[in-house]
Amino acid sequence: MSRWKRFLLFLSIMGPGIITANIDNDASGITTYSVAGARFGYSLLWTLLPTTVALVVIQEMIARMGVITGKGLSDLIRENYGIKAAFYMMLGLLVANFGNTVANLAGWAASMEILGLSKYVMVPVGALAIWMLVTRGSYRFVEKILLIACLLYFGYVVSGFMSKPDWAPVLKSAVAPQMRWDSEYIMLSIAIIGTTITPWMQFYLQSSIAEKGIKKENYAASRLDVIIGCFITDIISFFIIVTCGALLFPHGIRINEAAEAALALKPLAGDYAYLIFAICLANAGLLGAIIVPLATAYYICEAMGWEAGINKSFKEAPQFMWIYTLTIALASAVIMIPGAPLVFLMVLSAVVNGLLLPFVLVFALLLVNNKKLMGEYVNPRSYNYISWGTIAAIILLTGFMIITTLAPMHS
Amino acid sequence: MPFFGEVFSSEIIKKPVLDPKGEELGRVKDLAIVKGDPLPLVSMLVIEKKKKYFRLPWVDLNIFNKKIISSRTYRDNLIPYEFSEDDLLVVRDILDKQIVDANGAKVVRVNDIKLEGYQNDAILIAVDVGMRGILRRLGIERGSEEFLSMFKTSLPYNLISWNYIQPLRPKLNAITLTVPRQMLSELHPADIADIISQVSREEGAHLFKDLDIETAAEALSELKPEMQADIINAMDTEKAADIIEEMPPDEAADILSDLSSERAQELLENIEKEEAEDIQELLEHDDDTAGGRMTNDYIAYAPHMTVLEASERFKIHAREVENVYYIYILDKEEKLIGVTSLKEMILAEPDCLLADIMETNLKTVSPGEDEMDAAEIISKYNLLALPVVDENGYMHGIITVDDIIDMLLPPAAKKKRRKI
Repeated sequence: MSRWKRFLLFLSIMGPGIITANIDNDASGITTYSVAGARFGYSLLWTLLPTTVALVVIQEMIARMGVITGKGLSDLIRENYGIKAAFYMMLGLLVANFGNTVANLAGWAASMEILGLSKYVMVPVGALAIWMLVTRGSYRFVEKILLIACLLYFGYVVSGFMSKPDWAPVLKSAVAPQMRWDSEYIMLSIAIIGTTITPWMQFYLQSSIAEKGIKKENYAASRLDVIIGCFITDIISFFIIVTCGALLFPHGIRINEAAEAALALKPLAGDYAYLIFAICLANAGLLGAIIVPLATAYYICEAMGWEAGINKSFKEAPQFMWIYTLTIALASAVIMIPGAPLVFLMVLSAVVNGLLLPFVLVFALLLVNNKKLMGEYVNPRSYNYISWGTIAAIILLTGFMIITTLAPMHS
Repeated sequence: MPFFGEVFSSEIIKKPVLDPKGEELGRVKDLAIVKGDPLPLVSMLVIEKKKKYFRLPWVDLNIFNKKIISSRTYRDNLIPYEFSEDDLLVVRDILDKQIVDANGAKVVRVNDIKLEGYQNDAILIAVDVGMRGILRRLGIERGSEEFLSMFKTSLPYNLISWNYIQPLRPKLNAITLTVPRQMLSELHPADIADIISQVSREEGAHLFKDLDIETAAEALSELKPEMQADIINAMDTEKAADIIEEMPPDEAADILSDLSSERAQELLENIEKEEAEDIQELLEHDDDTAGGRMTNDYIAYAPHMTVLEASERFKIHAREVENVYYIYILDKEEKLIGVTSLKEMILAEPDCLLADIMETNLKTVSPGEDEMDAAEIISKYNLLALPVVDENGYMHGIITVDDIIDMLLPPAAKKKRRKI
């Protein structure tokens, strides 16, 4: 095959990995990176490298399963581990993803507020727009919107360069691990992994690959797509940390939210950096709020065998439409009602995500090693050591995070 | 062994099986079923004791209901069981899997399986695809029922009779159950396409193999291009060629253009010569031009033909042609000079000449023009078909209104199943 032809083949197969990668950097991810950069400068940059490796290891297996079986992860769990495993996992996913939707809409609300638009107007408008776009919009239109949304992420790369960091220490911090026995430092480094490797994106990636109907022969191109996607995720994270590390950290500005980062950037870096941060956050929040509820409704309905599809009515696909609609409606309500337990929901979502992740990863690893499903495409033995090691490390770290979230350390 | 009443598989699985003395032989792991008349029946239980599996033939059972399962056999007489792909097992092969509900024309998941006593056998009568099945498996059916009764509502039963089920996997077909194979073929081709687009590629290709040529051709044209290519590639050349031949030439050309050129050539060689030439001609046009959208399947007669003569010929030609609502009038050099509609031809006096009734103010499109231009002309003049004519006046084909609708509003199965 000529090099040109191979490139064309890759173009036709790429997509799922790269899109998943972008959605992975949702509002809560951006918050984590902004906080990390503002609080510790470049010193957490090194965590991105191991995170990327872990992400590649896991996503590669998920993608392989999608290509070989042609089925989504929730289908495979239901078919191989029965309804109980599938049901409780889906219940967890529903709770965790409700929290994720709230976080994303909250990101949208916060970015609108700092742009001077009231959240009491913009949240209902955003929610309604999402709902209409998905249920009434044509596929081509939705795809175009998503593509533009994905491109907007590169705003962070621009802002990273605009912040004119001193590249020597940046690159040094990116490759040289450093450890600080500071509870906040440890928590943030775990949070970076936790926000990058999430349960729902495994379901999303596998389904979108199965959906695309990529053939075994083209698996190499699909793998490349996934690996590029993983790197894009972390390149975006890298530039968010660099921007905040270069501009906010030297002034000792502490932030708790991504929107605060945008606001803090205004006097330091001017209107452009502020606008980039605000618009990118709004974009990420809205994109997450489109995909997360939709994906959740799909996985649940597929695992349970309910009719699913956005071109169906409430009567044809009641469970699907209700899960999708209620997730968006309730999440918007939570953000707008003053005194709603926003923080509690965020914590709950993080804990459920953390509890869910080990099960998702272990099921995934067991399934990918199932000869009946995967045939000759099971993990090679050496690769299994790496993947079990990676998964064990992630489980350990998220376990640690859950414990400290529920019983905060006193430092 | 007498068995009366009904029981769900979930009420049996993991239940202890007792020997005549009341000792536990093991727990039910799975149920093997075989073909029966009228419905499949349970031939044996697979039981598990300390990670070892044993077979317990149906005839050795003494009592079988949701409370007690007891056998006439003692532990020492049990025969070990090895899981084999040749057996059809309820839990392993049916439960939790996707099946086609041929009655509702959709893909559903098996939540539970209902058995019923019939002449001393346990027959498989239905699968539960509803909420009740899920709750029963989770062990909360009763609780949910009571909870809902407080609100004066009840849980609906959602059982599908085994008669209306089409298995998705080849294995279930191998052991010919009483499932009617033609079940799927009775559905509307668009529904079949919808079902195929909802399952994995492999399962889709398998379902396709069971269809007769005519249904297959129609269903195939409803699928999205990559899927069409996959299915044709998975088939042996002869059957694939038969299906392509059955399709209207424009759709056949669309599919062939998505295949590798060797495969397309191979298929064309297996198609009747005349048909193959039509397809070949269409393959030369670009996808999004009028030429790429057109079909060369149309009815055309000479101007000096009488209406009577034309009607007689029409009866023969119309069998083969998809779009028969317009009759095109070509002169000796095959140049388009006029058109008449089927309605006008039927209403005209039999001895009239076609030249007398034909419309000569023609709306046409040239092969290289954009397909959207063709759509606009069809929409503006409310046509059912639009002739494609080159600058010298030669007619190449027609674009039909359903091709335009498909272009503007692709059928569900042609879009992605998931929109994002």
